[in-house]
Amino acid sequence: MAEDLRTERKGRILAVRDLPTLPKVLEEVSKLVERPDSTTEQVAKLISMDQVLSAKVLKMVNSPVYGFPGRISSIGHALVLLGFNVLRSIIVSTSVFEVMTENMVGLWEHSLGAAMASGAVARMLKLKDAEEYAVAGLLHDLGKVVATVQLPDLKPEIERVVAERDCFYLEAEREVLGFGHDRINAWLADHWKLPANIKEGLSYHHKPHLAQLYPEMACVVHLGDFLVRSFEYGFSGDVGVTYLQPEALKILKIRPADFENLLDELSGQLVELADLRFT
Amino acid sequence: MVSDALCAFTRTQKILVLSPDPTLARLFDAAFTPAEAEVTIQSQGRYAVETLFTDPPDMLVVDAALADIPGPTLVTMVKSENVYRQLPVALIMDEAALGTDIDWCAVEVDELLTRPLTSAMLRARVTLALARATRSLDANPLTKLPGNTSIIGRIQDLIDRKQDFALAYADLDYFKSFNDKYGFSRGDEVLMMTARIIVNTVRSVGGPTAFVGHVGGDDFVFILGIDRVEEACKAVVASFDGIVPHFYDADDRDRGFIQSVDREGHRRSFPLMAISIAVVFNRDGRLKHFGEASQTAMTLKKKAKENPKSCYVLDKRQG
Repeated sequence: MAEDLRTERKGRILAVRDLPTLPKVLEEVSKLVERPDSTTEQVAKLISMDQVLSAKVLKMVNSPVYGFPGRISSIGHALVLLGFNVLRSIIVSTSVFEVMTENMVGLWEHSLGAAMASGAVARMLKLKDAEEYAVAGLLHDLGKVVATVQLPDLKPEIERVVAERDCFYLEAEREVLGFGHDRINAWLADHWKLPANIKEGLSYHHKPHLAQLYPEMACVVHLGDFLVRSFEYGFSGDVGVTYLQPEALKILKIRPADFENLLDELSGQLVELADLRFT
Repeated sequence: MVSDALCAFTRTQKILVLSPDPTLARLFDAAFTPAEAEVTIQSQGRYAVETLFTDPPDMLVVDAALADIPGPTLVTMVKSENVYRQLPVALIMDEAALGTDIDWCAVEVDELLTRPLTSAMLRARVTLALARATRSLDANPLTKLPGNTSIIGRIQDLIDRKQDFALAYADLDYFKSFNDKYGFSRGDEVLMMTARIIVNTVRSVGGPTAFVGHVGGDDFVFILGIDRVEEACKAVVASFDGIVPHFYDADDRDRGFIQSVDREGHRRSFPLMAISIAVVFNRDGRLKHFGEASQTAMTLKKKAKENPKSCYVLDKRQG
């Protein structure tokens, strides 16, 4: 791929202004924010179910305007620091997906499932601030959404390559775009000044053993992504299940017995999640 | 309350005008009543400099057509003196001269008045410049929250109106050692974070009339209704304790303390920062003066500080 084409595409990716989300999610959040008795915790819980709103909230709170870029990885903390006033403006500035809904619902579910699975893994391993692992799990495919919105003509091309070659979405992205969503995630994380732990989770979830600063974060998200695929919850763009890096289990020191417990716990939670309808 | 003072200004504003133009006096007379503004007009820049430095006005208006010193030069002389940096300065010019090469970024004027001048426009522009200066003068430069003048004004006003209120003083424990170890820009991040927690919490609990001020450094003040203050304190403490660890490096955070040098120069460990809040109540017009409130709060704060963890202390005598 020519370097200038790659630079041009990166520019278009980073120029993203409006990330759309599902109409129902936005409606629910708007309703909750307008109710006088809503608490920050309630709103945070709902925002934490949507990768676009979560990404916007984190982008906003880590913006240099507020004076502490790269510090906040939790949605709850972000809402306390932003206040409902700013949150309302985030909601107003978010549009809804009118088209492509079917695909986006699949990705939305996949992201939510990955958030839940990553959070569950972090809790099982008794890692500090499990919520932040859930946030990284939620956002791990954000690059796919941004690429779809900013480079819409290339989306069908990627899907064609996936179908024809029977390869992973990530490989098709690399071929068609010149880079994968993991790279897009890294650009966005830098551009939006997201904290380093979130950045590593987003940009190394396909190669967690290479993460330098927060290998645990990358490994948890990798595992979360793998687990939600194995349960066939949502649609990530791939029909099959990606390869589980054995190093990730080694880094996290997960024993086979732990793994079984985790699967049991997750299957229960995913059944609950499947009852949620946001379409 | 002085009712004939200009907008919110509590006293007559002194305006010094340097201009050789004899028609300006009439324009200013028509624009302001003597109670609003005391306007002095001098035609020579040179003589004005001494007055300016010994008895500074609330606003300076300089004519670019000043005969002896170029207007902009005089403005730079005044503005380069740090104590006068906030003094609002307006420059008067002919509109026709605007097209000439003027480096507006280098000229330290705050307002521009162009001829032909009308008294209505003069009144509007000068008043706005004065109001703007008042606002920016008292805002804390870091957090942009109202500073001491506004805080004292607000408290004294509530006392004068015999209104019930709760006044909370908040400050951070171990902020200095954090600053010493990580540097002041990391310290500023913590102050910005603290300001946002307090503002959002106090507004969401206390409504739009609740007030938050930044005394300076790590000292904050908030005012809200007596029945809501405890809820606000609890929420501030909980949010602060949840968020502040993220402002430490990962290893210090895991350890739960930092190594720094104390006031005597000894290396020692300091816990993670905590927030202490002291709350004073004004019920049934008990307080007569702002000073009483702040003194009681300082006594209470010592009590709050005995606890190394975040906490709040209510003034029991009236709470």
